[in-house]
Amino acid sequence: MHKYELIYILQADLDEATIDAAVETIENLIKSNQGEITKTERWGKRKLAYPIRKTNEGYYVLVNFDYDPQNVAGLKRTMGFNEQILRTSILRVD
Amino acid sequence: MTDNKNTERFDRADRGDTQGRGANRNRRFVTRPKFCQFCGDKNLVIDYKNVELMSRFINETGKIRPRRQTGTCAKHQREVATAIKNARHIALLPFEGDFWTDNN
Repeated sequence: MHKYELIYILQADLDEATIDAAVETIENLIKSNQGEITKTERWGKRKLAYPIRKTNEGYYVLVNFDYDPQNVAGLKRTMGFNEQILRTSILRVD
Repeated sequence: MTDNKNTERFDRADRGDTQGRGANRNRRFVTRPKFCQFCGDKNLVIDYKNVELMSRFINETGKIRPRRQTGTCAKHQREVATAIKNARHIALLPFEGDFWTDNN
């Protein structure tokens, strides 16, 4: 288990219920692989420094969690399939 | 705070350089911060999530500013460079161009 930091950007035009659902989906995804979430922080809507998929805004979510290194690639791949997510970044912090 | 002042000074020097011969004299007197600000202040952590801090280390075209301008030591410059690259990936900092004046 290592400590990881995940930041992902959701589409900004989603309504709140959809955002809550999307955040929960990601949390469940992490938990389903014996991951432990230590902190979730919603930065909310931010302007992007450059357009991604032709949008200039994104909804940022930061998640700190402990995770098995073997599963990280799979997590990133699964998140890539989610069309609501514009961008993800998983970095080790320890 | 002092860093902002330095930024301006360097910008002026860069502009002076394009003006021609005599302007080169300006460049010689450009001073740089003598100490690495991260060595001097242990509480100042290089964090790619801190946009306000990281944006001080890119110039108006989005490039990473060199050590000779920012005064950062070699060790911390490497960390700064990595942090900027991480921040670019999640669109906190631009790959190119000025994101402060760009309003969609």
